Amino acid sequence: MSGKAPTVMSPMASAVNLQGVTKRFVQWQRDNTGKGMLKNLLKPEKKEITALLDVSFQVEKGEFVAYAGPNGAGKSTTMKLLSGMLLPDSGDIAVLGLCPQRQRRELMSRLGVLFGNRTELWWDHPVIQSYEWKKVVWDIPEAVYHQNLEMVTELLDLGGLLKTFSRELSLGQRMRADLGMLLLHSPELILLDEPTLGLDVVAKRQMISFLKKINRENGVTLIVTSHDMDDLEEMAQRILMISGGKIAYDGSFDGLRTMTGNLTRLTVATDNGFVPDLGNGGPVSSEKGVYEFEIDLAKTPIQELMRQLSRAQGVRDVEIKKAPIEQVIARLYQSWR
Amino acid sequence: MAAKTTLRRIMRLFGISAKMDLAWLMRDTMYALAGITADMIGNLSVVSGVLLISVRFGGIGGMSADEVLFMMAYSTLITGLFIVFGASNNIHISRIIGRGQLEHFFIQPLSLKTQLITYGFCPFTGGGNLLVGLILLIIAIQRLGLTLSVGWILALSGHLLTTMVIIVARSYLASTLAFYAPVAAEEISSTVIEGTWLLSTFPLSGMPAALQVPLLTILPEGLMAWFPALSLLGKPPLGWSAAYPMLFALILTLITSYFFRKGLNYYVRKGSNRYVPYGFRR
Repeated sequence: MSGKAPTVMSPMASAVNLQGVTKRFVQWQRDNTGKGMLKNLLKPEKKEITALLDVSFQVEKGEFVAYAGPNGAGKSTTMKLLSGMLLPDSGDIAVLGLCPQRQRRELMSRLGVLFGNRTELWWDHPVIQSYEWKKVVWDIPEAVYHQNLEMVTELLDLGGLLKTFSRELSLGQRMRADLGMLLLHSPELILLDEPTLGLDVVAKRQMISFLKKINRENGVTLIVTSHDMDDLEEMAQRILMISGGKIAYDGSFDGLRTMTGNLTRLTVATDNGFVPDLGNGGPVSSEKGVYEFEIDLAKTPIQELMRQLSRAQGVRDVEIKKAPIEQVIARLYQSWR
Repeated sequence: MAAKTTLRRIMRLFGISAKMDLAWLMRDTMYALAGITADMIGNLSVVSGVLLISVRFGGIGGMSADEVLFMMAYSTLITGLFIVFGASNNIHISRIIGRGQLEHFFIQPLSLKTQLITYGFCPFTGGGNLLVGLILLIIAIQRLGLTLSVGWILALSGHLLTTMVIIVARSYLASTLAFYAPVAAEEISSTVIEGTWLLSTFPLSGMPAALQVPLLTILPEGLMAWFPALSLLGKPPLGWSAAYPMLFALILTLITSYFFRKGLNYYVRKGSNRYVPYGFRR
């Protein structure tokens, strides 16, 4: 690929290093009226979209990072920048110490990229044929290929799929086969864009446990985007949240919860139809004497909550849980609008 | 380290494409044979129309019927080469660009050139026309009483290569538009190459120079078979050098290279707002 590319920076430790990266796109605006169409001919209306604005972050080798954000936040753009599919308008990018644009070929032999809505498999061939194609194109040594093939076949339960035509696979099977193919060249860093998109519960569990395993046991660095926050929390140790093209949060999932006020879900079961009064505006749901409350422990300390519960009548059972991460994120997204 | 693109590696890449093509033929034999037959019938009907006219009228525009047969053989060989090396839309690149599928190429540890040259190779399912072209060539050579020499075979190979370069360069030059208008220009390569294919199989001998010259320069259909066939028969048209197609190919390649690079830069700066998940790998 040609074109002006940013310089190589920090060629040493980090798996990913973004410094001050900005990426803008232009969207053409279309008016459906006759007047609008005429106007469009003479002076087309354009809208500038800032996908990333001065974004900086680092991911160290061996980390498992969730990259999240609302629709249109810039997640896929970041993935494309990291994998050399796009050039930044400004800023520096280093992936495994390499510049994705200038050293694309070298980088691609060490990097694995998978977009959940795309496949790298050959459509009209059995899965194993795609794998053999990859062996030649990536120039994977025989021994490494066979070792990795054995590993992915076992861990992703691909035994029954290898001889099946890719076009005949279900979505979950296809994702597993694609993921298996991704790992054949032993990538040091894997970028996954929505890998659990459209997968059923079983396929999702299988994929999550596999990703955790290769991160833990093989030291592979992973950056995963998903809209499913529960999945991300289960997989990753760190979450990077992007909103409006800027990094809005970088830290742990627990830290993210405290950002929205340490939201806690309290379930109280009572006898004889007593509705506990916890002085917070009432339960968010109730069913057959079981009431659910959302408590912000930053506002109502746990001691105070216990005191209120002890005063409530007919309490039979109490359960305190962290609020689902989905709920925390939803609050954040709303606050960012 | 990325593997070096050595000749051996390129051969291995051609090899895997050929193996996959053979596998496809063996697995879906009926469909594959139907496709091959359709390709051959389609091409033969194009060239036989011209050939029948030349037989009926004892030649066309000063070219004998056997010379026209030779030209048709050359045209069929070119069609054969186009199909053998151009499966998977790597010659009709506007489809890949317009569908936002170049990104699949960016994530491979190979140069774009190496990928595009090797991955559409289908000698088994695409070889039908090449075979027919060779048969027609042998018949024409016998009927014309040509004496084969190493020099002549090299000249034939050079002309075939040059014609292929012109086709690919034309396709890629037109396909550049797909970087800027992916939807509108998705099919522009097939329009440019195949839309005027009939014209390229017509012998231009006997036509006024005012018609011949534009068809050798602006719309180079005369370079697809007519000019090279007559050059190989020792009668380059218009008194031009037999090396003219090579000069044309060189200039066109340089122009294409400049505009294609510009388009590619635009693509990686602006990205593609379109993605179609079919057609880039069959």
